[in-house]
Amino acid sequence: MTHTTAVRTLRRRRSRPVLLVLPAAILTAVLMVIPIVTTIVRVVSDGGTGLSRLFDLPNVGQVFLNTLYWTVGSVAGGILLGYAGALVLQSRHLRLVGVWRSLLMIPWIIPGVVGATVWRWTLSTDYGILNQTLLDLGLVAEPVRWLSDPGIVLWAVALIQIWVTAPFVMLMVSAALATIPAERYEAARLDGAGSLAILRHIILPAIRPTTGICVLTLAVWALNSFTIIWVATSGGPAGASTILPILLYQAFQNGDQTLVSAVALVQVFIGAVFAVFFARTTRTDLEDQR
Amino acid sequence: MRQLAGRVSARAAVWGTLAVLLTWSLAPIAVMVLTSFKKRGDIFAVPARLFPSSWTFDNYQTVLTSSSMPQALLNSVIIGGLVAIATLLFCFSAGYALARFRFRSARPLALFILLGQMVPLTVVLLPVYQIVSSLKLLDTASGVAFAHLAITVPLVTWMVRNQIAAIPYELEEAVQIDGGSRFDAVSYVTLPVCAPGLAAAGMFAFLQSWHEFLFASVMATSTASRTAPVALTQFAGEFDVDWGATMAASVVLTVPIVILFMVMQRYFTAGLTGGAVKG
Repeated sequence: MTHTTAVRTLRRRRSRPVLLVLPAAILTAVLMVIPIVTTIVRVVSDGGTGLSRLFDLPNVGQVFLNTLYWTVGSVAGGILLGYAGALVLQSRHLRLVGVWRSLLMIPWIIPGVVGATVWRWTLSTDYGILNQTLLDLGLVAEPVRWLSDPGIVLWAVALIQIWVTAPFVMLMVSAALATIPAERYEAARLDGAGSLAILRHIILPAIRPTTGICVLTLAVWALNSFTIIWVATSGGPAGASTILPILLYQAFQNGDQTLVSAVALVQVFIGAVFAVFFARTTRTDLEDQR
Repeated sequence: MRQLAGRVSARAAVWGTLAVLLTWSLAPIAVMVLTSFKKRGDIFAVPARLFPSSWTFDNYQTVLTSSSMPQALLNSVIIGGLVAIATLLFCFSAGYALARFRFRSARPLALFILLGQMVPLTVVLLPVYQIVSSLKLLDTASGVAFAHLAITVPLVTWMVRNQIAAIPYELEEAVQIDGGSRFDAVSYVTLPVCAPGLAAAGMFAFLQSWHEFLFASVMATSTASRTAPVALTQFAGEFDVDWGATMAASVVLTVPIVILFMVMQRYFTAGLTGGAVKG
């Protein structure tokens, strides 16, 4: 009798935590896993017609290249600017650090739609303040067609993505820099190390894990980014700023479910590669924290 | 002497870099705010100037009295509120279990929920649209809120888990030693202690929903449920863009968020970096 009660309480102890996690897990399943499974099923049951139609699109090569350039460009820019921000805020020459940090965070906290809209106006060929400033400074001879020149537009929208995401990198790197003990700097200075040597041998190694997480996060954000390009250019002109999520949305608007599922499957595949990396980096985190 | 010169130039480099970064970050914000106070002729003046030649509140009047923006803002507040409440219910229970119990399925479940945030939203757009449609929730506030949970639940579960893990378990044990149940311990000790963090997490969920555009743009199509970001794009969607009103609407959409962020900044940054960096 006592034995069974003991077993029963033990069992109850074990099942209760699972029950607590279950609602969130079921919700994730309904909103994420089932959709992905149905996407895969839909593509397979079509016999791959969606996929072959996707790869037969006349501009499909350009879309993939755009996605690659856009991702690499916006990640590199975001990392560089984020690092610059974090290092500047870390400097002992600086005062009012909190104020500057808050101000530099603003691009990240405003809604993406607002950011893209404001940039669309700032980059306007004839009425935009950026072109006017460049003209006034004599840096360009005639207005740059930021959002209507097919050769420039992808980099112009990448600029907006960098503007939005760099503060996130700054925040993460700042947090990592704060964990470096002050004695380490002092010891290096006593040994006669200059600022560059400190940067290379103390700061960069200490924030390497954070850099990994930031690159991964920014890459995933860029690959899945939709709002900024859609609001700024809708993927134009002539598809010059169309990346995979834009292609999917256009197919959705046309009611072309086969093509939507095909693009989604390609995105799932790319996402899965990144998810493996992500799981690897967070696994050590999980184990350290228990 | 050389050392002094070095220190001066280092200081100049730091302040110079900061000035460049501030200009880059804030110039578009300045354009937004200043354009919203310009008269129509002023907006399309060539050469373009940053400051208005004469200031006007007409654009704000247009946005707040003769557009669908007030309704859209109300919709956004309602949807954001629903998302925040639902997210906290789901995530407090999941976060508590993941922080306090050791059970076999804990790690797979945690990873499963965490990987939810890796899934591209466009990938699930069509299936989630069909689920919301089959629940007869298209073009309703609850439909949009339901879709937004896909974004908030994975992230906030993680935030809450870390907050609870940071509270010593001995506090709960003390209550149980005094004869209270585990439920008492959670509601009288753990909840009050992490209340500020939970408020920040709820606010975070609200903000995610306030920002979200993709789901809202396909699921909330009529004025009755359209959210503020979607309404904003409709100002700027046609060929004849009323940039003054668009910028005024952008300001209206942004200012409450910026104030909120400044007030809650400490909790936000802690929650955010806690999720990814070892805390």
